[in-house]
Amino acid sequence: MKTPPRELLHLTMTDRIARLREATRGEQRLFSIDQALIITESYRDHRGEPRVLQRAHALARALREIPLRIDPDEMILGNRTPSIRAGVVTPEAGISWIERELATLEDRPQDPFAVRPDDARRFTEEIRPFWRGKTLEEAVEERLGREIEAIRRVVKINQTDHAQGHICPNVPRWLSLGPRGIQEEAELRLRDAPDEEQPFLQAVVVVMEGALDFITRYSELVRGTPAGDICSALTRRPPRSYHEALQSVWFLFVILQMESNASSFSPGRMDQYLLPFLEEDLRKETLTIAGALELTEALWIKFNQIVYMRNASSAEYFAGFPIGFNVAIGGMKRDGSDGTNILSWIFLKAQEHLGLPQPNLSARLWRGSPREFIDQCARVIGLGSGMPQIVNDESIIPALESLGIDRDDARDYAVVGCVELSPSGNSLGWSDAAMFNLVKALELALNDGVCLLTGERLGPATGTLEDYPSFEALQEGFRRQIDYFMDRMIPLCDAVDRMHAEFLPSPFLSALVDSCLESGRDVTAGGARYNLSGIQAIQVANVADSLAALKHLVYDTHQIPAARVLSALRENFVGDEELRKNLISRVPKYGNDQEWVDLLGARWVEYFADRLQNFTNARGGAYQMGLYTVSAHVPMGKNVGATPDGRRAREPLADGGVSAMYGRDTAGPTALLRSLGRLPFSKAGNGTLLNIKFLPRTFTNPEEREKFVALLYAMLLLGIHHLQCNVVDEKTLREAQARPDEHENLTIRVAGYTAYFVELAPDLQEEIITRTTYGETPL
Amino acid sequence: MNAPAPNQARNGTSPHRGETGTITGRVFDIKRFALHDGPGIRTTAFLKGCPLACRWCQNPEGIPRDPLLFYHREQCIRCRRCIGVCPEGALSAREEHSGGAGDTRNTSDTDDQGARTDFITIDRSLCRGCGQCIEACPTRALTWDSTLYTVEELFQELQKDRVFFDSSGGGITLSGGEPLAQPEFVQALLERCHTEGLHTALETTLQTSRAVLERVLPLTRLFLADLKLADPEEHRRFTGVANQQILENARFLADRKAPILFRLPLIPQTTTSHDNISRIARFVKSLPGNYSLELINFNPLASGKYRMLGQPYPYADHTAPLPEPEVEALAALVRAEGVPRG
Ligand code: SF4
Ligand code: SF4
Repeated sequence: MKTPPRELLHLTMTDRIARLREATRGEQRLFSIDQALIITESYRDHRGEPRVLQRAHALARALREIPLRIDPDEMILGNRTPSIRAGVVTPEAGISWIERELATLEDRPQDPFAVRPDDARRFTEEIRPFWRGKTLEEAVEERLGREIEAIRRVVKINQTDHAQGHICPNVPRWLSLGPRGIQEEAELRLRDAPDEEQPFLQAVVVVMEGALDFITRYSELVRGTPAGDICSALTRRPPRSYHEALQSVWFLFVILQMESNASSFSPGRMDQYLLPFLEEDLRKETLTIAGALELTEALWIKFNQIVYMRNASSAEYFAGFPIGFNVAIGGMKRDGSDGTNILSWIFLKAQEHLGLPQPNLSARLWRGSPREFIDQCARVIGLGSGMPQIVNDESIIPALESLGIDRDDARDYAVVGCVELSPSGNSLGWSDAAMFNLVKALELALNDGVCLLTGERLGPATGTLEDYPSFEALQEGFRRQIDYFMDRMIPLCDAVDRMHAEFLPSPFLSALVDSCLESGRDVTAGGARYNLSGIQAIQVANVADSLAALKHLVYDTHQIPAARVLSALRENFVGDEELRKNLISRVPKYGNDQEWVDLLGARWVEYFADRLQNFTNARGGAYQMGLYTVSAHVPMGKNVGATPDGRRAREPLADGGVSAMYGRDTAGPTALLRSLGRLPFSKAGNGTLLNIKFLPRTFTNPEEREKFVALLYAMLLLGIHHLQCNVVDEKTLREAQARPDEHENLTIRVAGYTAYFVELAPDLQEEIITRTTYGETPL
Repeated sequence: MNAPAPNQARNGTSPHRGETGTITGRVFDIKRFALHDGPGIRTTAFLKGCPLACRWCQNPEGIPRDPLLFYHREQCIRCRRCIGVCPEGALSAREEHSGGAGDTRNTSDTDDQGARTDFITIDRSLCRGCGQCIEACPTRALTWDSTLYTVEELFQELQKDRVFFDSSGGGITLSGGEPLAQPEFVQALLERCHTEGLHTALETTLQTSRAVLERVLPLTRLFLADLKLADPEEHRRFTGVANQQILENARFLADRKAPILFRLPLIPQTTTSHDNISRIARFVKSLPGNYSLELINFNPLASGKYRMLGQPYPYADHTAPLPEPEVEALAALVRAEGVPRG
């Protein structure tokens, strides 16, 4: 569908939606033990049973006993906790961090949760003692703790205290079978399943029964209302109308969250699989486009009512409770044609109206995307939420195919969580197995394997910068450090992966991932059709800039002796600011379309990706590389000493994933995109992340927006997986005033002349800020 | 892989190179993702040298043909090396009120308004352009304002964003200064673009000879021409030359049906009188062909550049862009003469 339905264009948000949105925003976030109490009881009753059945009974009981809640005006029902946006305790995965951090949960700087005294007491007295020694977190600590600690500064092993999530379930399957249908299928298979598959299949029957009870409870709670009728219908048969389908989708995600309490269960391509429902309603004239939009917005609001409570350190890595309900719109269909349809437009409109953090909306673009669709995406981005983010079918589909994913499945990919990529409904991507800090490995290569921050030996003694006779020898030392830590990382990832199968089998989720029921295996045990693991290589910009500086200044032109650089790094540039300035100003930087610099970074992430292919994960699938950090560039930077790119010790690394170091990409977005085009995206099937800042005017002025759209088209051709735009508003400009070093590349465009914002006198900066705020006078 | 030093590398030693043999051009800026210099996404090269010297010039370094020394005070760490190496004694340090010489971390000196003040003063009457200070400066606080390119070098640089030109209908724009002040270079460059099928735009003052214009005419897909002041005397007063040749050249191009976008920079108290706007609009109307006239609002952002050059900027502090309603009122005058607004 090349243009939006005319009717949609001028629809405004209804009062009802506005009220729902306000109510959601206004609610305080509470620490919640409601489900943990129920689960603990259930485990008491099912002592000695196989873990998968214990988990199934615990979930089913929670579905029957968790207090329900319905808010006035709600059109889509269902919550996993009595209060919305609560931080849920999942004892099976890990609670010792909660024990440690309970006292600070309320006041921690990132993502705090209020704790009621009575809840704190019951947590300590009733929940904590029962689970001591029984959780994933403690088992990981006991069995792998020392090894994880030993590589911690270079590799962060993830998924050690929570279920891993990051999956796009087979929602169409849920919509067509419903819990009843899936339960029947499991029962059928149980009849002649071998013994070892029995517990899993029984567990599926148990959780589907629980799911039916959960929906029945809602239907009884609102009996006699339209919502009650819908819930009651869903207990008997699959959904038929758009409203029923949305309600069914939401129940699915609530239950998935109750089972796993994990980040990034993503609905994926909702515009594709919900289309038949809407079309049928429109044909029968039982729903208008305005009605469909309102229902969609009601669901969008629900996506914001589930947040994810992380421990303090993880909260720093993934700040702002990202829960990762990622919805994709547009993009290529399985048959190779374009999938932009009426729902793609409606979803975009919902984003325009609400501007909420969830769902995380991703526009899938390719050469076949309607120009008007890209233009409208650009306009909505300009409204300030940064959404939709752009993902590129042109590069992502081949990257997935190269992992052995069938063409049709690759074309049907979804984005899970933030930027992670996955086929829909049939894959466990385990996309955040670990983060590998290449910059730290480089630090060790320059300092004989010894940490610059603590003086501890972390890696092999490969020599110091002074010892390497050539740039090639230096790179060889870097390679050895990388190999050393990769070889230690992989067995740990495998071990953690296996422990999820042991501690957190997920029968409800498994029933919604292709091949699990057929194979009689839980998704955590490798039951999915596709099994992958993703490791993030961090951070290409700092590696490229650091190597470029050493190559040029130390080895090629001999301007600066290696000894001086090494001692400056050890001293964190104290006493040699001149050298630091040299490192920054005398060498070109990644992201400025300087091929030799970009290739220094590209070479090493490619090396990393290639070497990952030597390994097979615990579920028999491939390891693959991702290039993203979300907000982890800050804590990861805290682990890294001074680097030859002029970055001081403990300062953040470059942001995003493939972005240039902040303030160093001074040649504009086209140069940046061309630089990025040199990275091996075909080997980064786990996802990549690029942040770019633009002025609001780029999106509001139709002529400039057309040029931005052209920029996106070129990005598709350059093969860059992902791009997300920050609209530079007054706040950003104020920050630039306060911390000019970090905003050196912020440019203000004028006819025939570009100015760097931070170079302008304060009064002119004021001037510009005022102008930008009003966004009227042409810049 | 060969590692050239960042920017300015090729003109680091002497600004007077390249006068022999191959044609070279002096470029003071290359702007990629230029959105206002013609259709689509463009890369704009700014060439040095201009026969006019408008008092409001946005790019003062574009006026003289010879390279100039830029001082970026934000970068200066006050090491005094430049002073020591200058053979002409052209550099001196500002008196310091705290911290000694060599206190390299003392980079946060600010004046009363909170802006960083200059540490180095350049006596431009003594500077011979030997470039030794630039070589000595560890932080690139001193740079040339421009780089010397061969035609092929500049072409290679400008065509890098081809994928964006193709997706947007863009291309390259030559601006200045006055690009036609380096006519052989510009002609050769346009020819190169022409054979490669790149869209070309030329931003010109039209203060050039008929012969030069004739040569670039078939190679230029769009002329961007400024018309500033209608009155010849006023024109001379504010730009240094009268406007006769400019207007004649405009008519010449129009007679040849050249694509031209006329633009009128709105300089408060200078070009913004109703009489001036109407007269320029009438002139555009008098040309054969239905040309449009775009009003470009004043932008005060050039003062940073004047500062780097150590020159005063007459429009610096007290001039603001025109409020949008005033621009609209002036645009109405243009429309009243039957001229489309660009
Ligand atoms: S370029 Fe000028 S200021 Fe610099 S060293 Fe040479 S004469 Fe002195
Ligand atoms: S301009 Fe350069 S060489 Fe001169 S004092 Fe400043 S930093 Fe030192």
